Amino acid sequence: MFFFLGTAKSSAQNLKFLIPDHAIGQYAGSIGYFSVGAGYEIFKNKRGYLDFNYGYVPASKGGELHALTAKLAYKPFEIKLSDWGKLYPFNPGFFLSYTFHEDLAFRYHSSEYPSGYYYWSPALRPHLSVSNEIEFSMANIWDGLGIKKIGLYTEFNTNDFYIVNYFQNTSSLSLSDVFQLGIGIRLKF
Amino acid sequence: MKVFYVFLFLCISIFSCKNIEYSPNQIFDKNSYQDINASNLKRLGDGSRDDTVRFIITGDTQEWYDETVKFYKKVNSMPGIDFVIVAGDVTEFGTLKEMQWLAEKLDKLNAPYVAVIGNHDLTSRGRDAFQRMYGELNYSFIYGGIKFICHDTNSREYQFNGNVPNIPWLKQELQAEEGVSNYVAVSHVPPISDDFDEKLIKDYATAFDETPGFLMSFHAHTHTFDKFRLGNSNIPYVITSAMGKREFLLVEIINNKLSFEQISF
Repeated sequence: MFFFLGTAKSSAQNLKFLIPDHAIGQYAGSIGYFSVGAGYEIFKNKRGYLDFNYGYVPASKGGELHALTAKLAYKPFEIKLSDWGKLYPFNPGFFLSYTFHEDLAFRYHSSEYPSGYYYWSPALRPHLSVSNEIEFSMANIWDGLGIKKIGLYTEFNTNDFYIVNYFQNTSSLSLSDVFQLGIGIRLKF
Repeated sequence: MKVFYVFLFLCISIFSCKNIEYSPNQIFDKNSYQDINASNLKRLGDGSRDDTVRFIITGDTQEWYDETVKFYKKVNSMPGIDFVIVAGDVTEFGTLKEMQWLAEKLDKLNAPYVAVIGNHDLTSRGRDAFQRMYGELNYSFIYGGIKFICHDTNSREYQFNGNVPNIPWLKQELQAEEGVSNYVAVSHVPPISDDFDEKLIKDYATAFDETPGFLMSFHAHTHTFDKFRLGNSNIPYVITSAMGKREFLLVEIINNKLSFEQISF
């Protein structure tokens, strides 16, 4: 019995790394009209983000769609603004989104199309992103909230579809055509 | 320096409001076009006083926006063009963004234009996006006493279910009516393609054969100019080249006679 409890306790401790470092709310950014999620600060220097989001687009905004997203990003530059905040001006990233909808299959069925007819996945989209983030240190602003830091970010992303189009039409499409904006907040515990 | 970064941060955030996207799979946004076919046909009018009907058939614009810019400039330099028909595949991946980018280019045409659904436009949520931006998948209009019947022949996208092309609808549209002396059909997939429902080829050809005053059936999809007949039918089927090949067809109908010319740009 004691042994069992001991094991349970130690495995609970082992699983502690699963507790997210931050909660996320994001508006737009190609992964939902609004999306919510949780994420981790990764790597030894805590400069990496691994985020998981669920997003929703209501029918009135061009949906109805549900999407799951896994994001990876890195913050190579840090600018200390003052005691209350930092700026991460240029954070490149990569993410995968999967959209759930009856018209979006994971792949085209080989029984319906000759091989190579449509080569892409309708539901799974790889994206490239660049974000910037202002991080407020709550200890100096509003202590006792249980939130150590709050990050506000804007994120631009593009996907395989738009990249293919862009590189084939460099004179008639601009980067601002293919990069899409999202705005979000990160509550860091 | 710090102030500069904060300023930059704010600028980027504010100036990019037009780039708000909820999903690559959304079927409209607040800036996207709506009912282009209907509004352009309204602008076109019925051509009742036009005895020389001149129009352009292009297709398969897909990922060819640079070429589409050259296309509209060329067409705008040509005199007397009544309208332009884009015979399907206005996207590569069936997304709203692609449809919107193309429509922004084609909007620069001086002549009104209409689009017909292609197989690529039926992938993902393209069907819904197309219906909202352009309109019905099967539709017709009359100009200068000629009825143009634009329709969906992308049978493979419907698993060859026997309903596409919609033969009963076509027969209905091909019935004799007052003020119409000729008929022209426009669709994306030609009946010689593997993507056209084999079971329906005979009925399709017969519907055109049995229509007095039927002039020609125009198509796209194969990206290569072609002119052919089916079996012992007298109806000519013509495939316009593709936007990517920088070729289109200029068609002229005078006194119930149709002629066309291949134009490179």
